[in-house]
Amino acid sequence: MTPETDNQPNNDMELVARTQGGDPTAFDELVVKYSPRLYGLVYHMTSNHEDTNDLLQDIFSKAYRSIANFRGKSSFYTWMHSISVNMTINFLKKRNRRQHPSLNDPDSRIENDPDFIAATSNGDPTKEVSVHELQKKLNDAMMKLSEDHRMAVTMFDIQGIPHAEIAKILKVSEGTVRSRLFYAHRQLQNSLQEFKRN
Amino acid sequence: MSHEPMHRIIRLKRYEQPPEGYFDDFLREFQNRQRAELLHPSIGELILERFHAILSEIRVPAMAYAGAAAIAVVASVFILRLPTPEQPRAYSASYTQPPVMVPSMQPVSLRVEAPAGDRFDSLFPPSYLLRPRAANHESPLSF
Repeated sequence: MTPETDNQPNNDMELVARTQGGDPTAFDELVVKYSPRLYGLVYHMTSNHEDTNDLLQDIFSKAYRSIANFRGKSSFYTWMHSISVNMTINFLKKRNRRQHPSLNDPDSRIENDPDFIAATSNGDPTKEVSVHELQKKLNDAMMKLSEDHRMAVTMFDIQGIPHAEIAKILKVSEGTVRSRLFYAHRQLQNSLQEFKRN
Repeated sequence: MSHEPMHRIIRLKRYEQPPEGYFDDFLREFQNRQRAELLHPSIGELILERFHAILSEIRVPAMAYAGAAAIAVVASVFILRLPTPEQPRAYSASYTQPPVMVPSMQPVSLRVEAPAGDRFDSLFPPSYLLRPRAANHESPLSF
């Protein structure tokens, strides 16, 4: 799934209005629309598919209970993401640090991605790194980041959300978002440097 | 230092996806959970629902709460600023004193008179002489 920016805010507001009016099928449509994106956000923060499933159910339940108070001051997209970010970070703070990752198998299309080829062969076609090796290394590097830095990387690098939108969701300045990304990238580079050398 | 290479590598994580059909199952699970919550709400939800129901029945105007709060604040300030009344002092006499009797005295006046021709007058303090003067019938105890 390639990252998409929300380009149908009017449709969201219509579905929200119908949900507030008591139409449960309208909220189902919002679940269908937002569950893939929010799954990615939660999954890349927790690195655990089962935890992601449970947490995502909780997120949508909370959104459904709170939707009567949604006044449209922000877009529904921003509102849903804010709920997801807050609940995910709260979950991570409560979770036992000795968490076992439960990673999804990458889509086979990754092997044809030029970035994957460049990252794994490093110009040497004889030196091939398996997808799972790269996945594990990337995951380990991400887990070393703090929740705030990991969230910025997840939203910008993985999901392709623009800086300005991330700032609205996290309720920080755009400068803070860029600063967190800069620091996180440097940390990730240090973690992956050894991998590339080996 | 460009972080573009790092951005390209991290972006590869987007290929990590849940199994096929996951999101269809997710919606079904969510719908089942919603039905379960409607049929068996938690105790907290029940209490909150009852509280909202009671509030809606009272039909208190929204501004009434603000007015009541303002009155409470003013009353608190007024009470806190009230001057504390002085406690009457308790006197305990260790003995009973007889009434003061002022004997009738001939009024007198005081004036400073330096001793005449005394070459030591600058060294010694002046002496005070009591001289009788004309009587004044005003009560000596009047102030």
